[in-house]
Amino acid sequence: MATTPFAPLLQSIIRHRGVTGVLLVGEDDGLVVDSVLQVGVNGAAFAALTASLYRKARRSAEAAGLGRTGYFELDAVDGRVLAAGKNELVFIVVAEARINVGLLRVELLKAVERLP
Amino acid sequence: MRMSVAASWVEAPLKQFVDDARVHYAVLLHPSGQVLGQYGFARSVDVMTACALAAAIDASSRALGMLVEGKAFPSLHYAGRERQIFLAEVPAPGGRLLLLAVFDWESSLGLLQLYHEEFRARVGEMAPPIAHNAPAIAADFEKELNKNLAVMFGRA
Repeated sequence: MATTPFAPLLQSIIRHRGVTGVLLVGEDDGLVVDSVLQVGVNGAAFAALTASLYRKARRSAEAAGLGRTGYFELDAVDGRVLAAGKNELVFIVVAEARINVGLLRVELLKAVERLP
Repeated sequence: MRMSVAASWVEAPLKQFVDDARVHYAVLLHPSGQVLGQYGFARSVDVMTACALAAAIDASSRALGMLVEGKAFPSLHYAGRERQIFLAEVPAPGGRLLLLAVFDWESSLGLLQLYHEEFRARVGEMAPPIAHNAPAIAADFEKELNKNLAVMFGRA
């Protein structure tokens, strides 16, 4: 994918040990704006499904009166999916199960703050 | 909401697409405008109108694609305030079909693209061959069009 103004933000996340992919995705349309992915991840399909999941999680939280969802984490057997967004853009991170979640979460939220 | 099909092989892939992509309306048609299956419409006249418009949009966008890019655009998306349309080519053995889908903000263009890919694969496996030498508008087009609508809406 061509370099976009978001490339430095993606690079700040992908450099962490155990991270296998980072995508910036439109929350409403589920389309990839920019991404850094290792071979083996179907970026377009993953982006569309995870953006949908994030959007529904955000709406669930709002419906429950919990306010806006800022951070979302999916814990699977062989890895994790982390997502955080702002202004209709969502960062989605694919990572191995052994990552330092706390550190990655901080880095992800920092990247979100730097979104326009 | 009801699904109706003019050819039995259409039902399984179309149902799967509707279930996965959460669309309000879906129509599988020939580029000529002849319907093969639909979900969501209650009246045959609405299906006929949607097919005619989809066929016209496809013809126009193909011509525009050839003009500006040297090849036809494979899909088209339009986002309205409440609803969006997705019109895409579906290759079938020996020819091509069109899928028209109408969805709202509960779904997304990304999901439509994803499930369209799966739909294409299923149609490629299940559709019977389309005749190569058939004219764009067959002599019995109107009869066939009406027959398909009658089969789908119970007036066969």
